[in-house]
Amino acid sequence: MTTGETQGVAPASDCQRAKRELEEYIHGELCAADAGDIRRHLETCDDCNAEHTVGVTLTNALKGACKEAAPEELRDSIMNALRRAQAEHQG
Amino acid sequence: MTGIATATRLDSEAMSKSNDTHTRFVNDALPYTDQLYAAAMRMTRNPADASDLVQETFAKAYAAFDSYTQGTNLKAWLYRIQTNTFINQYRKAKRQPFQNPLEELEDWQIGDSDSITSTHSRSAEAEAIDRMPSGIVKDSLQQLSVDRRMVVYLVDVEGFSYQETADMMETPVGTVMSRLHRGRKQLREMLAGYAAQQGMKTEEKQ
Repeated sequence: MTTGETQGVAPASDCQRAKRELEEYIHGELCAADAGDIRRHLETCDDCNAEHTVGVTLTNALKGACKEAAPEELRDSIMNALRRAQAEHQG
Repeated sequence: MTGIATATRLDSEAMSKSNDTHTRFVNDALPYTDQLYAAAMRMTRNPADASDLVQETFAKAYAAFDSYTQGTNLKAWLYRIQTNTFINQYRKAKRQPFQNPLEELEDWQIGDSDSITSTHSRSAEAEAIDRMPSGIVKDSLQQLSVDRRMVVYLVDVEGFSYQETADMMETPVGTVMSRLHRGRKQLREMLAGYAAQQGMKTEEKQ
């Protein structure tokens, strides 16, 4: 019996390497050659591709969730401190 | 309290600041207030301490602005001051080293045990994370230990490189990778737990 369906199945060693380097790949830490290897592997491996999607989705979710506006009082007190500093400098 | 102390420091430092430098600081550095506050919220986890931390960061940055080289990464420079300030405060308050080397086994290079979960369940996981309310994502991040939280924040949210993050936290790059990997893994587990609780589909349909 042979597996008629080979698409989406890559050599296990490729998957091991991809999984090991996926986080660095997502964060743009790999050199161009290594990133190219991972990119090509992701195109042919459904499993690693799914793992990659989870990783990217997590990063995007974190980016979207962590936006904050500084309180007005903080802005004011920073500006006041700087204005005072400048006034004293000029005076 | 801290506000007054900060103001005093700024006043005394101002004597040596030219109008140009002052204007440049206001124009270039102050626009990072929101971002530094967001980072401070992730570090301190409460608005009062976060405000104090940002205020102190700007005071130190203002005092040291002459040593900042124009054209280099101002954001990284400001983050470095804030991260250092926070870590030093944390050390002082806890009377213990910020990092516990024993906790940081270099396991980022070991394949995950959860890689045996199926492709299908991972598409569902991505979908669940994508639909997760941002409040839940933020709360989950806040539950990570301080060192993991900071690394995840600096790398994933702010987009700093591993090396920049390592420099800011004065830790080896391998430690950054380890904390990042553990932190992200923990987040995935927490978010999957929440999704399961809410009946969001993360399990494979038969």
